[in-house]
Amino acid sequence: MTGYFSEIWRLRHFWMALVRIDLQKRYRRSVIGIGWSLLHPIAMTAVLCVVFSHLFHQSVHSFAPYLLSGLTFWGFFTAAVMQGCQSFLQGEPYIRQHPAPLAIYPLRVTLSAGFHFILGFAIALAFVWWINGFGNLPALASLVPTFALLFVFGWSLAVCAGVANVMFQDSQHLVEIVIQIAFYLTPIFYRPEMLLGRRLVSWFVLLNPLAAFLELIRNPLLRGELPSTWAVRLASLGTYIALITAALALRRFEKRMIFYL
Amino acid sequence: MTLIQLDDVGLKFQVRRSGRISFKEYLLHGMFRRARRPTFEVQALENVNLTVGEGERLGIIGSNGAGKSTLLKLLAGIYPPTSGRRVVVGQISSLFDIGLGFENDANGWENIQYRGYLQGETPRSIRAKAQAIADFSELGDFLNVPIRCYSAGMKVRLAFSIATAVDPEILIIDEVLSAGDLAFQAKARERMKSLMMSARVVIVVSHDLEALPLLCERTMWLDHGKTQMIGPTEEVIAAYTEQVNGAAPQRIAA
Repeated sequence: MTGYFSEIWRLRHFWMALVRIDLQKRYRRSVIGIGWSLLHPIAMTAVLCVVFSHLFHQSVHSFAPYLLSGLTFWGFFTAAVMQGCQSFLQGEPYIRQHPAPLAIYPLRVTLSAGFHFILGFAIALAFVWWINGFGNLPALASLVPTFALLFVFGWSLAVCAGVANVMFQDSQHLVEIVIQIAFYLTPIFYRPEMLLGRRLVSWFVLLNPLAAFLELIRNPLLRGELPSTWAVRLASLGTYIALITAALALRRFEKRMIFYL
Repeated sequence: MTLIQLDDVGLKFQVRRSGRISFKEYLLHGMFRRARRPTFEVQALENVNLTVGEGERLGIIGSNGAGKSTLLKLLAGIYPPTSGRRVVVGQISSLFDIGLGFENDANGWENIQYRGYLQGETPRSIRAKAQAIADFSELGDFLNVPIRCYSAGMKVRLAFSIATAVDPEILIIDEVLSAGDLAFQAKARERMKSLMMSARVVIVVSHDLEALPLLCERTMWLDHGKTQMIGPTEEVIAAYTEQVNGAAPQRIAA
């Protein structure tokens, strides 16, 4: 186990270079460069704000950072899962040449997704500070372990998605559908309170680790409060399950995966 | 200490009739036993025993499809044995499929870095080697151009230059590579020779039956995934040529 991680660490220059090129590749021939990755959640936020702030009777000032943080988180989640699906196929030429821990390829996509997440989050944070003034520092400090947890969560999911996609070629379509459904079961553009009284749906949201992660991110960001213990536990549990699944999947399939690429 | 040991190693490929299996097929197969099995098996290597120790140079010969390249990949740790045991002590450098594994949108210099990192270089050590790699590849200003604009020959040149810029302990070479044009091929052959001299253990697949005795003391003859013969190079080559000449003419693929 430690051997596996030290091997990953030994190859850090390799995967960090791959992450760098992924980021460069996305912006190399574009005029506004890195701005594109910010433009997408901002544009979505603007549009959804216009539509839903009326529909849900929300003030734009509180709703905009709420949406932006939700969409940025969702962007990270989908990127980790969807690109995770492709990660081993994308790394196939390397896998065929050098024996290396396969987890570095999902790590590559998770890190570049994480980079965009941090950017989007910074904008939401700047927006909140501009409207409400500087936030509660201890609450903001809780974001550090949150991000660490989120990173492990994303990496594990990317590994699981990647292994599944190599072993079964239609997993990607399945994953797409699941993500689409999960989008509506996660309080990204609505507030969890709006579901009160709708028993079945609110249960889904209550037990949804993605919703827990959103609380972990939004409570310190928007309200200057620490997240609830329930959310911390649920997010940790979700991460733990994802991590174990990823470890088991790698243990069972890592060696054999080359035969299916 | 460097050592390579294979104990009764076998490798069985599960080949799918159409690419990868789909989740649907998997479920169907699980639920209804009668569902058609979508894979068949190919025994690529069978009962291979091999010990190569410090200072040894081993050649591998055999006709096309005998399992030579598969054996090399197994030795390099890319394929796991499906039966038996593989023991390797020492750092392996391998040279096969060298046209593979470039980042198409990055330029030559950047790809020198990436490949170097994968081979275990650090930013500092690769900086020291990058110029030598560039000089050997003779690509000059093309190194500033993205790889996607390279011709196949240029890619092979670059890949070969990077892959051979190492100080190998165990060197595993598939010699069936034609690196670039005539001039470069001669240069590549020289580089291979000097690499083989500096490595502590060398395993090479070769079709050059005349050069092989000069390089390797011992040679293994593979046939249909099985060890046909292993011993002093001259004897094995003699037996191999005899068998090939005795067989129908179209079998002389080597």
